[in-house]
Amino acid sequence: MKRLATILMTLTLLVTCAAAWAETTDLVVFAAASMTETLTQIKAAYEAEHPDVNITYNFDSSGTLKTQIQEGAECDLFISAGQKQMNQLDIAADPAVNKDGLDFVAEGSRINLLENKVTLVVPAGNEKGIESFDQLAEKLKAGDVLLAMGNSDVPVGQYTQKILAFYGLDEDALAKAGCLTYGTNVKEVTTQVAEGSVDAGVIYCTDAFSAGLTVVDAATKDMCGQVIYPVAVLKTAEHAEAAQAFLDYLQTEEAMKVFESVGFSPVAVKE
Amino acid sequence: MDWYPLWNSLRIAAISSILVFFLGIFCAYYASKLPRLIKGILDVALTLPMVLPPTVCGYFLLLVFGVKRPVGQFLMQYGIKFVMTWYGGVLAASVVAFPLMYRTARGAFEAVDKNLGYSAQTLGRSNIWIFWRVRMPACRQGISAGCVLAFARALGEYGATSMLIGYTPGRTATISTTVYQLWRTNDEQGAMMWVMVNMAISAVVLLTVNLLEERQKKAVKS
Repeated sequence: MKRLATILMTLTLLVTCAAAWAETTDLVVFAAASMTETLTQIKAAYEAEHPDVNITYNFDSSGTLKTQIQEGAECDLFISAGQKQMNQLDIAADPAVNKDGLDFVAEGSRINLLENKVTLVVPAGNEKGIESFDQLAEKLKAGDVLLAMGNSDVPVGQYTQKILAFYGLDEDALAKAGCLTYGTNVKEVTTQVAEGSVDAGVIYCTDAFSAGLTVVDAATKDMCGQVIYPVAVLKTAEHAEAAQAFLDYLQTEEAMKVFESVGFSPVAVKE
Repeated sequence: MDWYPLWNSLRIAAISSILVFFLGIFCAYYASKLPRLIKGILDVALTLPMVLPPTVCGYFLLLVFGVKRPVGQFLMQYGIKFVMTWYGGVLAASVVAFPLMYRTARGAFEAVDKNLGYSAQTLGRSNIWIFWRVRMPACRQGISAGCVLAFARALGEYGATSMLIGYTPGRTATISTTVYQLWRTNDEQGAMMWVMVNMAISAVVLLTVNLLEERQKKAVKS
């Protein structure tokens, strides 16, 4: 019995060593939570074409990812849902935004990849009968609704803050009145709306599509600005070339088809 | 300075502790009388929330009490909504704190000298009297240890609470969810302040428990 166990263990050890010796590049990609479904699909296609690359994703709010990168997390490629988070890591950005003078973005690798839309979603049944941002603003003023939004560290939360300001609503006052509930990333807000725990939520149209939620209104450029997703290879990347190769792939038509299928709009398209 | 999280956390912890106290000792008392097989299965089921990660517990609670789920919809008819309300926090904290009370109470009950109970029976006392006046005082240390653990667990509950009741300032914010939100939104000072408040509460609770225990020991000696 003991001998059998020893033989089995040695075999397992050898097999795992063999697997490690096969030269696979472990590419680590930090991406905004709203890209979960699309990037997972793209990973399957990319890894089929490049069997020597193994992509590991970390999906979370761009603010959380930025903090993780700042604290030294291993990451090759960063895709943010907002310019602010990327700017905070870019030495070439406005020092007023990059207050800590962080220098993580590899020069010349940063591009704007995708455009998204901020939308208002409601749970199935729409009990509060919210049909537009205007109506939402009225109900918020009356203290009659519970709205789920991202917190101020989450890009979609920052866009929501802009929308509230557009309607002249005081976020603090609404929070005190118990009308706002904060999620730590866009997927949490999406889940809360899907579960019917809240009356409405502000998420991206892509998340609404992936979750099958009813979109009642979309925010215009005046309300929250353009929603652009920048992407960049990091200076601290272990596999900078592989990261750049993947970045190039994300700009191809093949990848863009996947993005467009959930509602993203391409900003950078390569042949 | 918004002190709501302090009041909310204390309220949730206190109510959960009381609920879990009664539920825990009653389950422990009746479980010790059951046949072996059933006792084993019940043990596993009742101790499960302690072993499961809080997020798993939170997920299960959402599956059961979510607004779109059968139980949740049934309760909504009576206007009871555990999701996104402070008493949902009581539910979450009770579920995760219950095993602590249950296990310590079980251990205490099984260690008590059965002869004390039998003697009381020969004197014609009712089972309820025996339970509250003989068994409980005999198990006092174990029970109070369980209470402290349950209160501490309820006060420090984060995962299940966050998933079930979210973070609504002024309505469902607890100290643990507030610290996380303040850290995430780069309010380091605010987060630190709440950490200090939480440590102060914990220190006070533990000191009180220690003092009470010492007084008891002195009373027993004299």
